[in-house]
Amino acid sequence: MDIDKKIQHLTERLSYIKDIFGDKQTENVRLLETRLEEFVQRENALPLKEKTAAVETIEDLFAFVEKKLENELTPMDKVRIVRHSQRICLRDILENVYDNYTEIGGKDENSIDPSMLIARAYITRRSGKRTYHQPVMVIGQEKGHGEEFRNGGSVTPWGNAKALHYMKVAETENIPVHTFVFTPGSFPIEDAPGAAQQIAKNLYEMAGLRVPIVSIFSEGGSGGAEAIGLADIRLMLSHGYYSVISPEGAAAIEGRVRGGERAGSELIEKCAMQLKMTAEDNVRMGYIDHAIEEPALGARPFHYEFFRTLRQEVIRATDEVVLSVKGFTPFRAMALRRRRGKTIEDLDLENIYVRWSLSSSARDRLVGKRHKKFLRLSRQAFLDRRPFVRRFSAWWYDKGWDIYSYFKYDLWRKHQKQVIYAVEEVDAEARVLVEKVLRPWRKLTNALPTTQGRDDSKERELTMLSQWDQEDEARNGQWSYVSSRSKEDRAITCPNAATHGCLDLWAPDLFGEYAGVCNYCGHHFPMEYQWYMHNIFDPGSIFEFNSEVESANPLGFEGLDVKLEQAKKKTNLKSACTTFEARIDNVKVVVAMLVAPFRGGTVGAAEGEKFIQAAERAKKKRFPFVAYVHGTAGIRIQEGVNGVIQMARCTMAVRRYIDAGGLYLVLYDTNSYAGPLASFLGCSPYQFSIRSANIGFAGPGVIKETTGMDIPPDYHNAYRALSRGHIQGIWDRRDARHNLRQALLTMGGRNLYYR
Amino acid sequence: MLDITKLLEEIKASPYEEVVIRAPHTGLVHFADVAEGTRVVGPTGMWKEIPGTRIATMEREHNPKPIVAHEKGVISKVHTELEGRFVEAGTPLVHLRHFLSKDEVLGIILKKALYLFNAPERAKYYFAPDADKKIKASGPKAVTVHDGQELFIMSRMKREAALNYSGPEGVIYAVYFQHNENVDAGAPLIGVCPPDQVGLIEDVVIRVQTEWIEQD
Amino acid sequence: MHTKDHKVLVANRGEIAIRIVQACLKLGLEFVCVYTAEDAASGHVRIAREKGGEKSLYRIASYQDANELLAVADDSGATAIHPGYGFFAEDYRFARRVAQRENKLIFIGPSWRVIRELGDKINTKRLARSLGVPTVPGSDKPIYDEMEAEKVARQLFEFQEEQGIERPLVLVKASAGGGGMGIEEVYDIDLFKSVYRRIRNYSLRQFSDEGVLIEQRVLDFNHLEVQVVSDRSGKNPVHFGTRNCSIQSTGLQKRLEIAPGFDPSALQYSFDAQKVLDDITEHSLAMARKVGYDNVGTWEWIVTRDGRPFLMEVNTRIQVENGVSAMISRIRGEKGVDLISEQIRIGLGEPLGYTQQDVTFEGVGIEYRLIAENPDNKFTPWVGCIEQFGWEQEDWFQMHTHVPTDMPYDIPTEFDPNLALAIIWGKDLAHVKERGIEFLDKLRLEGANKAGEALKSNVNFLRAKTPVILKF
Repeated sequence: MDIDKKIQHLTERLSYIKDIFGDKQTENVRLLETRLEEFVQRENALPLKEKTAAVETIEDLFAFVEKKLENELTPMDKVRIVRHSQRICLRDILENVYDNYTEIGGKDENSIDPSMLIARAYITRRSGKRTYHQPVMVIGQEKGHGEEFRNGGSVTPWGNAKALHYMKVAETENIPVHTFVFTPGSFPIEDAPGAAQQIAKNLYEMAGLRVPIVSIFSEGGSGGAEAIGLADIRLMLSHGYYSVISPEGAAAIEGRVRGGERAGSELIEKCAMQLKMTAEDNVRMGYIDHAIEEPALGARPFHYEFFRTLRQEVIRATDEVVLSVKGFTPFRAMALRRRRGKTIEDLDLENIYVRWSLSSSARDRLVGKRHKKFLRLSRQAFLDRRPFVRRFSAWWYDKGWDIYSYFKYDLWRKHQKQVIYAVEEVDAEARVLVEKVLRPWRKLTNALPTTQGRDDSKERELTMLSQWDQEDEARNGQWSYVSSRSKEDRAITCPNAATHGCLDLWAPDLFGEYAGVCNYCGHHFPMEYQWYMHNIFDPGSIFEFNSEVESANPLGFEGLDVKLEQAKKKTNLKSACTTFEARIDNVKVVVAMLVAPFRGGTVGAAEGEKFIQAAERAKKKRFPFVAYVHGTAGIRIQEGVNGVIQMARCTMAVRRYIDAGGLYLVLYDTNSYAGPLASFLGCSPYQFSIRSANIGFAGPGVIKETTGMDIPPDYHNAYRALSRGHIQGIWDRRDARHNLRQALLTMGGRNLYYR
Repeated sequence: MLDITKLLEEIKASPYEEVVIRAPHTGLVHFADVAEGTRVVGPTGMWKEIPGTRIATMEREHNPKPIVAHEKGVISKVHTELEGRFVEAGTPLVHLRHFLSKDEVLGIILKKALYLFNAPERAKYYFAPDADKKIKASGPKAVTVHDGQELFIMSRMKREAALNYSGPEGVIYAVYFQHNENVDAGAPLIGVCPPDQVGLIEDVVIRVQTEWIEQD
Repeated sequence: MHTKDHKVLVANRGEIAIRIVQACLKLGLEFVCVYTAEDAASGHVRIAREKGGEKSLYRIASYQDANELLAVADDSGATAIHPGYGFFAEDYRFARRVAQRENKLIFIGPSWRVIRELGDKINTKRLARSLGVPTVPGSDKPIYDEMEAEKVARQLFEFQEEQGIERPLVLVKASAGGGGMGIEEVYDIDLFKSVYRRIRNYSLRQFSDEGVLIEQRVLDFNHLEVQVVSDRSGKNPVHFGTRNCSIQSTGLQKRLEIAPGFDPSALQYSFDAQKVLDDITEHSLAMARKVGYDNVGTWEWIVTRDGRPFLMEVNTRIQVENGVSAMISRIRGEKGVDLISEQIRIGLGEPLGYTQQDVTFEGVGIEYRLIAENPDNKFTPWVGCIEQFGWEQEDWFQMHTHVPTDMPYDIPTEFDPNLALAIIWGKDLAHVKERGIEFLDKLRLEGANKAGEALKSNVNFLRAKTPVILKF
C-alpha cells in the first residue's frame, strides 16, 4: 500500500516532468517512463522486500534525472514550473511555514476575491526559556493548485483593495507584513476602482506603510506583482520569475501578432530568455535581494525540507529589516550579518529573538530606508551622456536649491506671516483714526453748494474706445503652435460622422483653428505633444532640463537598439519623457511629459529617472508638479524589470513630493495604459483628461487574451474613466490652458508651494 | 386580431429585399473587389463595431472614404460604368439582394401590431431632450409615453416646434425615423406597445425567433 | 484672366441662385448650379437646365457641405464661387478655404480677412469707436471684473436718465455668445449683480469664458441699412443709398424693405432725417475704407426716436433686399442697376468704373417678401402645394422667384419658406404705396396642403403695413 502510494507519487512526478519540458528531453522522459512501467508490470511477481528495493532504485533514478534536468532548465521551463498546478501555493506555505494562522477577508469561494488570500499568522520562537509568538500579516495571491475560482492568482481590483486594507490593519497593529507574490498579472478589468487605479493606490500606500514589509516572489507578473511587491526586502524563489510581461505577451508584441493568432513557441522561448526574468537575473540586477534555493525542478507540496528553509529565510529577512532601523542592536545585527554567508541549516534563528514591532522613530527610519533603497535601483539602466563637470555642477545646483528652499520656506515663511499680520493691524487702526479726524471737514465741504455744469463725460466714457490689453491674445483661433497636418489640402472625416452627422472637415481648419476638435460633435483628434507645450504654457517660458538622460537597452534585448535609434532620430528626443519648467499665467510649474511618438511613450529606466528628478526638482523649488501624458503604452517591456521597477520608484518619488506638501496634477491626452497608469500617474489625487484620451490598464486585445471577455469599443474612453471615478474631469483641448490654470488655483490652496 | 402565421407566410413567399447602395455625396468612385454574386455582410461584432464589407471607395477633396454594406446579402448589380468617374450625390452604385433578417421580419410584423404614431407633417424629427437622454442611455424601450406627452421636436423650414404624442400609454417599441432625415407626413415615427398588448407582442417575437430561419 | 473666361459656381438655391445665373448670363459668364434631391423642382434648377444644360447642374448631398461645393467646382472647372446669402456667405473659413486650397478659386464676396474682422461684433464695435462712428453705449470689450461691470451698468442707468429715457434698460450678455442665448435685461441697478453673475456663470459653463458685455438696451428705433459697394482695391467704396427694414415679423425677420431709409420730403420727423441718412452713409464708407472693404456689404444701423444712430453690425454679403436699392439707383443716370452683377464683376477683379458722383437716386422702392406663413399665428410657416401663382407684369415692378408659375410646386421643408420678392417702384412715396397696393391686389397666390386647407400667406400683412411705411 505504501508501495502503491509511492508509485502514484512517482507517476505524478513523471507527468510533472512531462508538463514542464513538453516535447523536449524526450529521452530522459522515456527512460523514466519505461523504468516505471517495467516496475508496474513486474510488481506482482516480486516479493515485498525486493519490491521496496526496486522502488527505491527508481526513486533514486528519478532524483538523479531531476538533478540532471535541473541544470538544463531554460527560463521558459521555469515559467512552466511556476504555472504548474503542482507548484506550492500560499496555502501550503501558511500550513508549513507559519506556526498558526487564521484566514481573514473571506474563505475559498466565499471571498470578495478568492485569488487574494489574507491571513493573520504566527511565528513562534523560543529564546532561552521564553516562547515568543510573533504575529504577522500574510498577504498573497492564491492559485490553489488550479482551483477554478482562484482565477489563477489573477487579482481583481477589489482583491487588491482587500490586500491594501489589511496592510493598513497591519500598520495599525504595528506588525510586519509578509507578501507572497503568486500572480501571472492583475485581472485587467476596469470595474471600479479600475485595475490600474487600485494598483497605483496600493503602491502609493506601500511607499509610506510604516511597518516592515517582506515580499517573496514566486510568480511576479508585472502590475499584479507590484500591487503587493513593494517591500523592504524582496526575496525570490529560485525557480520563480519576475517580469514586466509574460513571455507570451512579449512575443505577441515582438512578433506583431494581431487578433486571435498566437506567437510561435520559439519566439516565446526567446523572449523568456531575453526578458531576464529568472531569480538569478533579478538578484544580479539588484531588483531582488536574495534568492531562496528550491529543490530540483521547483518546490512542490511534498518538499517539506524546503518549507523549513523558507521559514528561516522569511524570519531572517524580517529580522534584518527590523534590526536595520532599531536604535541599538549591535550584537544581534552582527549575528545576522554573519548568518548571511552560511546555509540556513547551520543557523538557529529561533534562538535569537528580535521584537518585530517598531517605535515611532524607527518606523520613520524604515520608510526613509525603503525610499533610499528603491531610489538606488536601475541607475545603471540608462545613459547619461553629461560630462562629469556638468553632472558635478548639477549636483551643486541641487544642493544650492536645498539650502535656498530651507531658508525661504522653512525659516522665512514662519516669520513672514507674523510681520504681515502686524502691518495689517496697524494699517487698519490708522484708517479709523484718519476718518475720525477728517469727518468734520468733510461735512463742511459737502454742505457747500457746488456748481455743476452739464457734463458729457459719462457719455464719452460709454461710447469711446476703451483700452483692451488682451486684444491680440490668441483670438480668432490663432494658436502659438499649429500642427503640420494643417498644411494639407484635404478633407477629414470625423469618426462620429455616421452617428452625429458631422460633415467632413478641411484639414487646415481642423488641425489649425479648431485645434483638432470636430466642429460638429466635439470629437478630439489626437494632436502632437508640441501643441500642448506651446499652447498651454506661457510662450517662451519652457526650460527643459535633464535632456541628456537617454534611453538604453539594459538587457541587450534583440532589436531594441535599432528601434531606439529610429525613435531618437524620428522625434529628436532621447527618451519618451521630457521634463521642463514652464509658466502658466506666471505660475511656475515643473512638468514631466510622456511623449507618445517615442516608442509609444513607454517608460523605461531613463524615463523613470527623469520623472523622479523632475519630482525632486519640484519639491526643492516648491513648484506644482504636472505630469502631462501625451500618451503611454505602458512600461517598455524590452527593459524587463528595469522598466517595471519604475512603477515603484516613481510612485515613491510622487509620494515624497506630495508628503512634502506639493500639488501633483496629471493630465492624460491620448492613449494612456498599463504600468505608468497603475503607479505614478494613477496615484495622483488630481487626474484630468483631454477628451481624446483612452485610459485603462490593458488594451482590448490583452483583455480578450487574458480574460476571454469582449469589451465594448468605448470601454476605455475618458467618460467611462470619469464614471468609474478614475479621473476628476474631462477637458476640451481648446480650454486646456484655462482649465489647468483653474486647477492650479483651486487645488493649490494652502498646500501649493508657489503661494 | 393579428394573424401572425399568415403574415409570416406572406413574408416567406418573398423573403428578399432589394437594397440600393447609393453615393452619399459627390466624388470619384472606385469599386472594391465586388461583382455580381459577391456575398457581403453588414456591420458585425457584439457592438456592431466591425464595419461591413467595403463596396467602394469614394474620394472627395482628397479624402477617400469607404462605402460599406449595411446589410448582408448578395450583390445583384454593380454599376461598373461609374468606375473612376465623378458621380453626383445619390447615384446608385450597387444593388444588393438582401434576405430579411429576424429583426427585420420582426420589424415588419410589429409595424402591424403596434400602435403607430405618425408624422403630422413632412419634417425632420428628434426626440425631446428628456426622452432623448433616456433613449440614448438605455434604449427606446426604457421610455413609457402617455397621451399629451411632449415627445418630439419637429424641425422644418429652420423652425422647430414641439410635438406631443397622442395615443395609448405604453412603451416605445420601435423607432422609425432617423437623425437628420426627413419623414413624410403620415409616415410612422414610433411604434408604441400598450400594456394590454404586451402578451401579443411577446408572442410575435417568439414566433419570429423560432420560425424565421435566416439565410445568407 | 479675362473676366469673361471665368466660370461661376452658384453655391446657393432659390431666388438668389436664379439672380446669380441671370447676372452671369448678362455678363457672358459660364455658370454651374447645384441642387439637392429635396429641391429638384426649384426654379434655379430649371433656369440652369434651360440656359446651361445638364452639364451645368450637379446634385449634391447638402448645400451646407463645403466639400460638396468644392468637389463640384473642381469637377466642373469652375474658377469662382458665389455664395449668395445665407449658407456660406459670411463664413470666413469657407472663403479662406476657397482662396487657399490647392486649386485656388475666387470667392465672390469680401476677402476672408475682412469677413473675419467684421464678423466679430466686439471687433466691429471697437473699429467703429476708433473712427468715431457712433455705437450703442456700453462696453466694447468683455468685462471680467464684477466691480467694473457694476460701474459700467451704473453709468448706463445714469446716462439714460440724463437722456430722459423713462424706463432705462441695461443689457447683459455673454461676450462669447450669440443668437439670443445668454442675454438678459436689467431694469434696476439693484438687480444687476445677480443677473451679471447668472450670465457670467452661464458663459463660463457654456463657453468657458467669463467675459460679459454690458450695453444700453435701445427699445424704440428704426432699422436702417447702408448699401456699400467696393472693388478689390478696397480704396474707393461707394454707397447705393439707404434702406429702412423696420417692418418685421414677430421673430424679427424682415418682411418689407423700403429705399431710401427715410423720406423727409413727404413725411415729418422729430429729427433731421436727411442729416441722419447722410451721417450713417458717411460713417459706413469711412469704416469700409478703413478695413479695405472689397465687395458688396451692408452696414446695419438703428436710429432712435430722437434721431441718434448707432451702428449695429456689418453684413459682409449681398442681402435679400439688394434689389430695392438697385431699383431707385441710377449709374450715370442709367436705370437697370443690378447689384449682383456688379458684385460678380468686381469680385472677379474688375475695377468699379464709377465714383459716388455717378450714383444718383430716383423715387421710392418697396420690396415685399412673399411668404407662405400665417401672420396671425406668430408667422408660422405654411407647408403645402402652391397651385396658382401669377401676376400681370408691369414695367414698374420686378418679381424674383424660384417658384414656377406654370405648374404646382411643393414647398420644400428644408429651407426658409420665402416664395418671391416683389420690388415696386414709384416716383414718390404716395405713388409707390398706391402701386404696391395695386400689385398686391392683383397677385394670384393659391394652394392647399395635404389636409385640403387653403394656403396661408402674408399678403394681407404686407397690404396692412404699406400705408405706414417710413413713418417714425
